[in-house]
Amino acid sequence: MAKKKVSRRGGGTEELNITSMMDMMTIILVFLLKSYSTDDVSVAPSDDLQIPVSTSLKSPKLAVNVIVTATQIMVDGEPVLEMEEYTDESGRARSRVPASAMRGQNIPDLLERLEQKREKAEGIGQRVGDNEAGFQGEILLQAHKELPYEVIRSVMFTAGQAQFSQFRFVVIKGNG
Amino acid sequence: MSDKRRQLEEQGLDLVPIMNLVTILIPFLLMSAQFVNLAVIDSMLPAIVESEPVEEKPDEEKLDLKVMINDKGFTVAGADKILPEEAGENGRVVPCHEDGCPTPESYDVASLTDRLALIKDQHEDEENVVLVPDSSVSYEVIIRTMDATRDDQDDRDSDNRPRRLFPNVVLAGGVK
Repeated sequence: MAKKKVSRRGGGTEELNITSMMDMMTIILVFLLKSYSTDDVSVAPSDDLQIPVSTSLKSPKLAVNVIVTATQIMVDGEPVLEMEEYTDESGRARSRVPASAMRGQNIPDLLERLEQKREKAEGIGQRVGDNEAGFQGEILLQAHKELPYEVIRSVMFTAGQAQFSQFRFVVIKGNG
Repeated sequence: MSDKRRQLEEQGLDLVPIMNLVTILIPFLLMSAQFVNLAVIDSMLPAIVESEPVEEKPDEEKLDLKVMINDKGFTVAGADKILPEEAGENGRVVPCHEDGCPTPESYDVASLTDRLALIKDQHEDEENVVLVPDSSVSYEVIIRTMDATRDDQDDRDSDNRPRRLFPNVVLAGGVK
């Protein structure tokens, strides 16, 4: 058919056949529509932040995002603190909060940042006059799966000091 | 008339506008596509949980279930009356598959779930469990333990929902 067309037009340039490209695009479109998500929470997994897999089915809600990777601690995407790497007795490389950045169980830098978040949320709550819009004391914790519990404990303790009491551990939904 | 018709047939469908549309849709969908499904596990800070008014039931003994996690495996505490009768002196300890628990996979979460299911049989109303991990226990093991204590994946009801064991999980201080 194409040949016919060309011959009738007197040997003009052949048109690009975009039908096969359309086929491909349609398949990609369907695939992307299927993985379309309107979740409030997103993670960017990397070597430093491997989220553990769990059988939990609870879907995440928006809250203050605390991300603890193997190299740093972030609050809502802003870096707060660099982590220190060390080798434990069995020779495994692990991370911890540097002793200089800790006061007992407390991490002052993180506390300061979380208190700012709390004050901001409380301010919004007061202005709106709606408790639900205000401070809820919820934290979404994304942590690297190889971190030792002492790091998680310090982060939780510090968050507790800043009056955040409800923790949500972000996990990847497994097949469970 | 027939000439006109033949001309129409030979022209074919103009796919270019659809191509334009699809090309715009693809980047948009790519941006909002999420390839990992996220979930959350809720947990409260211990101090806050304790300060909540608890209805005292003097006749009924409180279970106060604890699961200790260390390099020997899991130790279930708070259910002395149930476990030793069932499994002898070592009924409360769930050892790892390998000595020293070198990997998260070596923790025997399936056996832990079985032990907890026994406790749940005796205390149907109890929903709380306290995890007491060692400082060096990795975050992944804690998440796996939370999965094991939350529900029994092998014991499903008619709707294929797993049996709920102890969904209210609290992380405790742990030992140095």
